[in-house]
Amino acid sequence: MPEVILQEKWKRFEATQVSSIAYGDKYIEPNPPSDYPYTGAWNLRTLSLQKDKLSHMGIPFNISATANQAESDILTISWNENKNPFTQEDLLERAEDQIQEYIFRIRALPAFHYQESLASKLVTLLNYEKEEDPSSIGIAVDSLRNFFNFLRLNPNLKNPIISLTPDNNIYASWRSANNQVFSIHFLSNDNTHFVLFKPNERHPEQKIRVSGTATTDILMETVMPYGILDWIAE
Amino acid sequence: MKGDKIPDQDHITRYCKPSQAPDGNIQPSAFMLRVNEESLSVNWLGYLNCINRESEIAAVREIYKAKFKVGATAKIVVLNVGEVRQKVLNETPDRRNLDVLHDPLTDDASHSGIYNLKQDNELIAELILETVRDICSVRE
Repeated sequence: MPEVILQEKWKRFEATQVSSIAYGDKYIEPNPPSDYPYTGAWNLRTLSLQKDKLSHMGIPFNISATANQAESDILTISWNENKNPFTQEDLLERAEDQIQEYIFRIRALPAFHYQESLASKLVTLLNYEKEEDPSSIGIAVDSLRNFFNFLRLNPNLKNPIISLTPDNNIYASWRSANNQVFSIHFLSNDNTHFVLFKPNERHPEQKIRVSGTATTDILMETVMPYGILDWIAE
Repeated sequence: MKGDKIPDQDHITRYCKPSQAPDGNIQPSAFMLRVNEESLSVNWLGYLNCINRESEIAAVREIYKAKFKVGATAKIVVLNVGEVRQKVLNETPDRRNLDVLHDPLTDDASHSGIYNLKQDNELIAELILETVRDICSVRE
């Protein structure tokens, strides 16, 4: 976080005003001055979302330089105004930042007791991918986000085995001693593919095998009739 | 020859990345396709004309090391063609008939593919996992 230099206050806000005139309201976001941290020129939207989510989770978010922003009613979001095209490296760095952020947020999930272990597993998977291909994205960010949302919605589940699919998506599995299996493939669009195997109690020589697709928010209620929670919930 | 069916009694290997075998345990994700892949890449051991399984695995290790950077904890799994096909045929709701075909590459003459996996890939991957015969490390 840059140090606040009061003498440069007007210089910074002047630039903001110039930008708002130059680009019209399309890129302007009305903004209470105390609501945003000073972040430099860009990525305010991401940080704002981060702040809202972290605050919601009870994690303190350090807002600085609010005094310096007191006279500003408008800040511009310069993301779309950047005329320099992103390089592949920029995109990779941004994806890596997001991966780290989600792993941090998994580590900070309040209702879990294995969040440290889960976060470590994700870091290990990320390192495995980087070991074989340093230019690899490691873990698909949208799949990781989907997994994070699933964990938030289902804090009562046992610690899953996690691995990565060839497309770097998260694949989580729970296995029991009596050959029960429940696996979830977290896709990048808030969807999941799931598979479950369970013994057929009336015909012990047979197994029940079910697979399907469900959005992450209704996945557990979709599989509830198969008694999944009896053995994967803590 | 390209497109030849690999006999049911033959064996194939699949390369499992470290991220598909955390803690050394092979996961179903090792048998899943990339979005644009048509077949699951495997190697046909019988094609290598080696005297025993040990030398077949040694030959496969060399192929993998020459083709890509191998992770320290990467694994090779051995599967029997007939067992995989039968398992998937018997235990998928649509009685899926997989094809295991020779698909040689210029730098990998024993390269082959398991075809017809696309729909319900997760279910089939879980079934293939149950047929794994042997697991070896890629790095000795």
